[in-house]
Amino acid sequence: MKTRNAFQHEEVFVQLIREQKERFYLLAYNYTKNEQDALDVVQDSIQKAMLSLDRLENVEYMRSWFYKIVVRTAIDFLRKHKRLQVTDDDTLQYLTPAQEDVYENVDLEHALDELPIMYREVVILHYFEDLKLADVANILNIKLSTAKSRLYKALKLLKIQLQDVKGETAHG
Amino acid sequence: MDEKLKELEKQYNEVSIPKELDFVVENALKQGKKKRKKRAPQWLLGSAAAAMLFTAGLNVSPAMAKTLSDIPVVGSVVKVLTWTEYKVAEDSYDADIKVPSIENLDNKDLANALNEKYRSEGKALYDDFIAEVGDLKANGGGHLGVDSGYDVKTDNDQILSIGRYIVNTVGSSSTVMHYDTIDKQNEILITLPMLFKDDHYIKTISENIKEQMREQAAASNQEKVYWLKGAGIPDEEVSDEFTAVKADQQFYISDKGKLVISFDKYEVAPGYMGVVEFEIPTDVLKNDLVSSTYIH
Repeated sequence: MKTRNAFQHEEVFVQLIREQKERFYLLAYNYTKNEQDALDVVQDSIQKAMLSLDRLENVEYMRSWFYKIVVRTAIDFLRKHKRLQVTDDDTLQYLTPAQEDVYENVDLEHALDELPIMYREVVILHYFEDLKLADVANILNIKLSTAKSRLYKALKLLKIQLQDVKGETAHG
Repeated sequence: MDEKLKELEKQYNEVSIPKELDFVVENALKQGKKKRKKRAPQWLLGSAAAAMLFTAGLNVSPAMAKTLSDIPVVGSVVKVLTWTEYKVAEDSYDADIKVPSIENLDNKDLANALNEKYRSEGKALYDDFIAEVGDLKANGGGHLGVDSGYDVKTDNDQILSIGRYIVNTVGSSSTVMHYDTIDKQNEILITLPMLFKDDHYIKTISENIKEQMREQAAASNQEKVYWLKGAGIPDEEVSDEFTAVKADQQFYISDKGKLVISFDKYEVAPGYMGVVEFEIPTDVLKNDLVSSTYIH
């Protein structure tokens, strides 16, 4: 029974990967910021996923399950190459551009990249990959409340008005 | 969605998708399928256990090994066996290290030297892994994997080539290969330099490999690429160009008597190409070879 599940999963998995490989690549790239490394992360994620496919219980969770693998693989990659920087709030405050900045569009150009990973990933998964905040929390292995607060902080750093998201986050 | 967010999303999606993505994805899916199949179904576990007992029996009981090697058919089978295996399987830490052992070689010094090397390297690999896991745990955890084992590349009347691999996984993986090739008749270990008259072979082999790299890149529509100008990657992006093989480059001798040169993952090509091998045509080598005993 278990093996049959695994084989059905495999078909669904192959299809998911083929259809959404660009999305997964973009996510990996956002961590590695390098084409070759992002390709490596995608490749390793696929292989890791296939080895543990039969441990996935419900095929409906496959998409967010795979995002989780990509995120972990990417973070492990960064850790291995020591490119992951943990930044405390004071430094953040210091590095964040001053509130009254007239060149708003110039700001926006690299705004996302300047956001520390812990905030950036929440924004990407929730808004760009359309995942529910609860799934985002699961993918990143953090509490739902943490995901919420990181999202708020991210939007604040990006200077985005909060009322837009209230509906989505108030009862996630 | 807020205008700013829309703009950010647009930027996020504007990252260009490399053309290798399709190749990398399909390749990973293919390899993933292969690996899945390799994982033993239930009924196989029984025979694996039997095989393990068999190996253990050979290792533990000299009498059993002796008896078996006296029976011609079984005797010739007993050549490379897994001597021991280290296994760790925790949530995010995996180690599987198989240590080979060469049996039935009359030249005991050679057999002992190789087996001793395999054993100490296997043990060291395991110790390093455990130490690193300890570090990781102290620092809040992470993922770590090591998979090491061996492949018998060639085993005929004359040649025994064993390739040992070490795959380190920390996010992305790196693969290192080590080959040992033995002349079974004369019972000696074959090294790359001893096959050739002088060190001109380095140039001969390197030039041939460069040719092959460029041909492969062109023939595969740049899906195969190497760190070499004219081999799939724009010249200005080639930073650490392949220039020549090392004097003691990893190699083995194939069943047909061809020299095969092996490069580790990342050594001459981007990571997704994995470990790459080049078979050098004997014609190219014939002026440099000492004799055609091994390579023909």
